Amino acid sequence: MLYKTNAKSLLATVAVISWSLLLANVLLAAESLRQQKAIIGAFPFITNLLVIVFVVSVFLFQRLNTETLKGMDFMGYLMNLFSRGAVAAYVALPLHLGYKMVTEYNQLQSPLLLHLVYQINFGLLVIFLARAFYTWRQLLLYHKNKFLQIAWDWFELLLAATFLLTLFNFDYTNYIFLPLLALMCFYTLFLCTNLKWVAYLTFNNKSRSLLLLGAILVSCYVFLRYFYNSANSPELVVDYTDVGTLLLAMLFVGLYSLSAFLVSLFSLPTSSVFEQKSADLLNFQRLSQSIQQGQSEAQVYDMLFDSTIKASDASAAWYEHIRNSEPVVSHLLNVNEDQIKRIRHLLLAYNIHNIDYINNNLDRNPGFRDLMLPWKSLIILPIKTKKHLSGVLYLLKDIEQGFDRETVNVLRTFTSQTMLTIENLRLINESLQNERYKEELKIASQVQESLIPKNFPTDSWFEISTHAVAAKEVGGDFYDFLQLSESRIAIIIGDVSGKGISAAFHMAQMKGIFHGLMQQDMPPSEFMKQANSALSRCLEKTSFITSALYIIDYRMKGFMFARAGHCHTLYYNAMMDDVFYFQTEGLGLGIIRDKSYSNHVREMYYDYNPGDVMVIYTDGIVEARNEANEEYGENRLLYMLQQTYHLEAEDIKWAIINDLVDFTGPNNLYDDQTLLVIKFKPTQPKV
Amino acid sequence: MKITQEIKDNTVIMTLDGELDASSSVLLDEELSAPEIMKYSKILVDCQNLHYISSAGLGVFISHLQRFEDAQIKLIFYNMQEKVRNVFEILGLDLLMTIVSDYEEARTIANE
Repeated sequence: MLYKTNAKSLLATVAVISWSLLLANVLLAAESLRQQKAIIGAFPFITNLLVIVFVVSVFLFQRLNTETLKGMDFMGYLMNLFSRGAVAAYVALPLHLGYKMVTEYNQLQSPLLLHLVYQINFGLLVIFLARAFYTWRQLLLYHKNKFLQIAWDWFELLLAATFLLTLFNFDYTNYIFLPLLALMCFYTLFLCTNLKWVAYLTFNNKSRSLLLLGAILVSCYVFLRYFYNSANSPELVVDYTDVGTLLLAMLFVGLYSLSAFLVSLFSLPTSSVFEQKSADLLNFQRLSQSIQQGQSEAQVYDMLFDSTIKASDASAAWYEHIRNSEPVVSHLLNVNEDQIKRIRHLLLAYNIHNIDYINNNLDRNPGFRDLMLPWKSLIILPIKTKKHLSGVLYLLKDIEQGFDRETVNVLRTFTSQTMLTIENLRLINESLQNERYKEELKIASQVQESLIPKNFPTDSWFEISTHAVAAKEVGGDFYDFLQLSESRIAIIIGDVSGKGISAAFHMAQMKGIFHGLMQQDMPPSEFMKQANSALSRCLEKTSFITSALYIIDYRMKGFMFARAGHCHTLYYNAMMDDVFYFQTEGLGLGIIRDKSYSNHVREMYYDYNPGDVMVIYTDGIVEARNEANEEYGENRLLYMLQQTYHLEAEDIKWAIINDLVDFTGPNNLYDDQTLLVIKFKPTQPKV
Repeated sequence: MKITQEIKDNTVIMTLDGELDASSSVLLDEELSAPEIMKYSKILVDCQNLHYISSAGLGVFISHLQRFEDAQIKLIFYNMQEKVRNVFEILGLDLLMTIVSDYEEARTIANE
């Protein structure tokens, strides 16, 4: 930036100095011509050199000075060109006329004044040309491709090369250079066909640009006229029409202005079509980007309504939003409720409501004719996905054949884009909702986690080790304990049918029932009866709970238990050195919901020996499957205990769990798994 | 899971083929809830190709048990695989429901 500013001020200085020197030189030459009637020998070379320095510095200055095109502000750009370039002609003209008046009024010849005016006008010309040249360059290269860029670069280079003619004082009208100059003319003509920017002007802008372009053309004309009239004037010592480069630059500027003028003029009638298309395109963009911009469904419908009316140039319209399968008119344009009611009634009678329907000649239809509507064309566009109808858009026009195929295509594209947007909005909302559910499930999972006891009372007479995993965030397996008295502890295990949230609820309920009932310290079978009766009132019909309750009495060295449809208890008897399942009867809770349940539950009492091991589990353990779809099974569990009964409870548990994981493979959990291993120990002598 | 129904002499013969899990038990519930089924006095369930029954599947039978009993409709299971029978037994359902070894036996019991 600093470099650019420095370069600009340097170039400006050079331009001013060279122009002043040129002026001095010319005045000197004119003076000597008047007095001695002869020109100093080196005069043309110095003049030409100064001219080149001046022209080059002004062109380079304008090259840096011309701001890059911002967006599509072509009008501002043209305005700039006019106010900072073309206006020079309107300064030069009065200057010239003023000079004429002064000389004619005073009846005197003043070569010095003539040269001064000529010189000033020359400066103005160069400034105008340079400005116009580089402004056109920006516009010409609008939406450029590589080829065009190269073509332009060469044009600039060739133009610079023509300075050589001036430098060596060749006459460009010479036969050798004429063909070359003609080629340059063709090149210029080719460049002048690049007018893409004109297409982006709206109708209003085009009319305004015609004015500006006209003014610029007049500037060109004024300069041309002035310099050609002054050319070969015997009073002047210099003739700038001899500078070929300027002529070519003028040719380019003039031609480009002319072609832009003509193209603008002739594209004026079609510009409304282009405007319509680009407005449609813009509306599509707005519709499709509405999700990113976080717009609501209502805003999308607003957009649809406005866009379709603009795209079809409809004279009346309304939009019905379907809420709870009832249409509600949410947008209205030039149509009243009564008319809507009548049209809808008729459509209902024809059975063509809520479907794609176009009628381009309503008067031909007796039903519509009777309605006496001020419109002649109607299109109905339902906004619906495969299964969901969001709304229906009605557009009306006061002319026949109002909705041609082109318009209908555009309208359909709008409606399908709207559907897509609405659908996406819904999906986004749903995924947000899911996110919230997940969060709540996480909380549920934490709550459930807290329902399951982490630490059993450690005592000298037994060891207990537990393992529990849920297949989903929350599960239906549970276990718990309650210290009934100093020497008695109640342990419960259970499994609620089904998985997930409902199972988790029932599990929490069962925990409450356990703690509530066992406060009264009752035998296991009585507990099952009462639990069954309690659950019968709240469990849904297809749900049931399996459970087993053990009351271990360490003083009596025995335990009492009842099984309600739960997996058989696996037991190792140390005295007989035998591993077996307790085969007891017992019906699951919630299966029979009346008093007769008491006939289906049995209680058992068993004396334990030190070293006995009890394995309590849920069906997630024995029904776990491997890849070949085989179940882990009771036999393998029994075998595992046979191998490990001599270990500590914790080690037995791990041995079983590891074997289970070996069997199923990792990450193959389909049901909640719970495992409790209890090992009875010899009584420690109390200190 | 495939559930097929056959009507023979005032008897519904329902064949279960596959695994009765949480999703397929919905189908079973639909079949058993159909009002037509109450027109027949016997429902025989062929479990020969029933490889697995989940608690949801059991829940469906349990939920209809009382209804059939009240309407004096006999529900009889036969040809049950050992593995599946074990699940019924553990839950104590073998004492509530009639589970017999084969079709002939099922017919005999149904006609009693």
